[in-house]
Amino acid sequence: MSSAVRLCATLLLSALPILAAQAAGVEIRAVGSDGKPLAATVVFLESREAKAAAKPLSGSEIAQADRRFVQRVTVVTAGSEVHFPNRDKVRHHVYSFSPAKAFELKLYAGTPANPVLFDKPGIAVLGCNIHDRMVAWVVVVETPYFGQSDAQGVVRLDNVPPGSYRLRSWHPGLPPGSAAQDDALVVGATGTTTAAVKLPLTEAAP
Amino acid sequence: MKAARAAWLARWWPRRLSSRIVALFLGLLLLVQLAGFAVVRASIDANARALLAQDLAVGERIWARLLAQRAGKLALGASVLAADYGFRAAAASGDEDTLRSALDNHGARIGATVTAMLKSDLSLRAVGEGTERGAVDALPPLAARLAELGSTLALVDGRPYQLVMVPMKAPVLVGYVVMGFPLDAALVEDMHAVSGLHVAVLVDGAAGGSRLALSTLPEALGAELRAAHPAGDQLALGDQPHVLRQIGDPAAAGAGMHLRTVLLRSLADAVAPYRELQATLAVLTLAGLLMASAASIVTARRVTTPLRSLVRASERLSRGQYDQPLQHDGRNDDDEIGELARSFDHMRVSIAKQQAEIRQLAYWDPLTGLPNRAQFGDAVREALEMAQDTALPVSVVMLDLDRFKHVNDVLGYAFGDRLLQGVAQRLAAQDLRPDEMVARLSGDEFALLLPGRDAAGALRLAECLADAFLLPLTLDDHTVDVTAAFGVACWPQHAGDAETLISRAEVAMYSAKRKTAAALVYDAANDVGSALTLSLLSELRRALEQDELRLFLQPKVALVGPQAGRIVGAEALVRWMHPTRGMVPPMHFIPFAEQTGFVRQLTMWMLEATAKQWPELEALGLQRVSVNLSTRDLMDQELPAKLQRLLKRHPMPPQALCLEITESAIMDEPQRAEATLNQLSAIGFKLSIDDFGTGYSSLAYLKRLPVDELKIDRSFVMAMETDEDDAKIVRSTVDLAHNLGLSVVAEGVETGAAMARLAGLHCDEAQGYHMSRPIPAAEMAAFALAWADRQAAADAADQEKSAIA
Repeated sequence: MSSAVRLCATLLLSALPILAAQAAGVEIRAVGSDGKPLAATVVFLESREAKAAAKPLSGSEIAQADRRFVQRVTVVTAGSEVHFPNRDKVRHHVYSFSPAKAFELKLYAGTPANPVLFDKPGIAVLGCNIHDRMVAWVVVVETPYFGQSDAQGVVRLDNVPPGSYRLRSWHPGLPPGSAAQDDALVVGATGTTTAAVKLPLTEAAP
Repeated sequence: MKAARAAWLARWWPRRLSSRIVALFLGLLLLVQLAGFAVVRASIDANARALLAQDLAVGERIWARLLAQRAGKLALGASVLAADYGFRAAAASGDEDTLRSALDNHGARIGATVTAMLKSDLSLRAVGEGTERGAVDALPPLAARLAELGSTLALVDGRPYQLVMVPMKAPVLVGYVVMGFPLDAALVEDMHAVSGLHVAVLVDGAAGGSRLALSTLPEALGAELRAAHPAGDQLALGDQPHVLRQIGDPAAAGAGMHLRTVLLRSLADAVAPYRELQATLAVLTLAGLLMASAASIVTARRVTTPLRSLVRASERLSRGQYDQPLQHDGRNDDDEIGELARSFDHMRVSIAKQQAEIRQLAYWDPLTGLPNRAQFGDAVREALEMAQDTALPVSVVMLDLDRFKHVNDVLGYAFGDRLLQGVAQRLAAQDLRPDEMVARLSGDEFALLLPGRDAAGALRLAECLADAFLLPLTLDDHTVDVTAAFGVACWPQHAGDAETLISRAEVAMYSAKRKTAAALVYDAANDVGSALTLSLLSELRRALEQDELRLFLQPKVALVGPQAGRIVGAEALVRWMHPTRGMVPPMHFIPFAEQTGFVRQLTMWMLEATAKQWPELEALGLQRVSVNLSTRDLMDQELPAKLQRLLKRHPMPPQALCLEITESAIMDEPQRAEATLNQLSAIGFKLSIDDFGTGYSSLAYLKRLPVDELKIDRSFVMAMETDEDDAKIVRSTVDLAHNLGLSVVAEGVETGAAMARLAGLHCDEAQGYHMSRPIPAAEMAAFALAWADRQAAADAADQEKSAIA
């Protein structure tokens, strides 16, 4: 609860200088429960306007190389089709039992002819039935404003129209089935709106 | 108490030394073995319990390990299932029924009868279709423990299960799959096989009752265990002590019940291998006992066998067999037993030597070097034994020197001894056969044993010897005439045994002596009868003591002189008033009394009785009473003194007592007889020669004797009337006596004619049945009166006759 208060205070302090701009940058810092930066945190801003502005992405792919999914975490907008090219010599059997998108690509090699359409927002966990260790997440969002934190736990979003947003943050280290954390964020018109999110996990966690 | 114990011991403690040794050996060995056995048994028990406790501790670890292994295996299976795509797909389907069905289906693949799925937050999501509903209640409390350990024991609907929980990933953790497997018999059997312990899994109910879920025990024991609720680590099952260990599982509890695993083992099972050891030990003990008994028997034999041979040897010694050396086998030569045997043998030799010396003393006469009476008796017995087979006669000759006592008295005992030696030499010089023997029986008595000679042969030898004796012996310038009387007795006609044979020879010898014959063969007529002798002698003694003897008197009548026709004397005679046999005639006991010497007592009794009677007789006008003296009386040196003492006791003058002596009595030992008679005469007694005319006494000798009277033997007197020769003898005897200054008494006067004729011959007195038979002394007075009347009548008739003439 104290983190929420602190977040609010930060937002208030930084709001005034950016009110004037039409589109501004947003910089969000993700930290773990221990206060250290969390890399690979998926952050996205939701609002009605954002949802309307969202368009399906094209050309998204999650390749399987070296018996790993690349990328481990992929963020797509709803309605995007994702290709699953298999760059390994072995075959893979990609599946998802997640409610966001349950599908199954039975043993295949190369790129399956049909990409997988992620039409519902949510988080799909992908696995390979042949290789239990292979795991990937597809975060399906309904906003064009999303990103993943870098090694310093920082996500920079540009050209975000000012306004009120729901700042959603999610990390693969969260307990399975966890929804993205939901915070409020007001993006100013000018300047860079900064915010910090704190997730209940540490970098060390898987 | 002590005595009773001693008696008990005596009864049970073996008497034989060998048995004692064996008993001691075996007893000690048995004691040691028993002690060892007890110690082994005690330590086996302690060891077994310790080992058992250890076994149970190990068993508990094994049980835990077995459960863990099984859990691992089950978990592996479960996790493989959990990764099954179809199963995951079913789980992800979100359809409750599909999920439950899939749980059941996949659980069945690995034999799980309880299946459930938990959410990733460990809350129950679903249980398998066929799973007990109890699992719904049982699982939630166990979830945390399962998440931590991966497996646990649990009760589901009161039954023990092993539950495993594995995560289900799709591909990240989406939940947990729980699978439960009933604990089965295979598990406990496995446990039993691995550990050798019995396993029982019990479910304790809330009410205190228990249920036996699984057990390797036999059914009956299982039931007992279920009912037992043991508190410690000991329990008797089926009367066998068991040691146990209980493992409670706190997690495996539910609905007021909890699970209890009991590991247990029978003490007997644990001890069983030791029991085999004990059996082996017992067999060894038995074998040891057998060997020890064999060894101790051998040892005991080694000791007791020579002891027994010593015992046998001592028995031989006690039987008088000294000639057999002690047998010993030489095994014990150097030890104490050998020493004992040697000293025993020394003893045997020295006893034999001493025995020989004693035998020499016992069987030989030291004076003459001849065999003594004992050896002679033995020799006669031996000879008779041998004669039983050969049927040849055996003779014994006995001789007794005449007047030896006289020689001893006169010439001294030393001379007497040398005389005996001389006689012995003379006898030994006879040409005797080797089996014949000369022995000195006693004093001057010698005997010869002549086996194979009959009575006649023996008599010839005896006569030869008698002839040899005719040569005088010269010793120290003394020339001694030695004569002897010989008696012969012969087996089998005279006696059946040795003692009788010897005594018959003696009887014959005395007969010869009496009859002054040189040698006589035994004649039964001369023998009073040895069997009778002893009883008669004792009866005679009794007769004296009990006053059975009676004094009888036979009157003597004067034939010439102023007293003619009057009773002037009497002969005292003895009669025996036997209490049962009545009056015993003198012929029946007087000769016997003379032979045995008892006649001396009889004579003294006569003298005593006569002296007592004297005053009465004197009053009747009698001048003297005659008493007969026997040879033995004459030989009695004490006789004169005894008579003097008698006179002092009674008012009887010596002249009133006339002592009648037979010729033969005097002639036996004339010198001694003469000495005695002189003493008696000096005292004042009248002396009379009885039975005159029957002996061989010479008148010259008679003349030397201080005799006052002759009694003519009745044989002459009775024959006088018919035989002129006898009449002449009587007449000449009377004349002779008168010429020598002796008075004459005629015996056996049975008729008045004889009496008259004797009166005509001037015989002084007459005695006989014509006057009176012997009458009791008490009747003498009456007889005297009657005789006086008869005499007066006769006188009157005579006067009438003379007056008529």
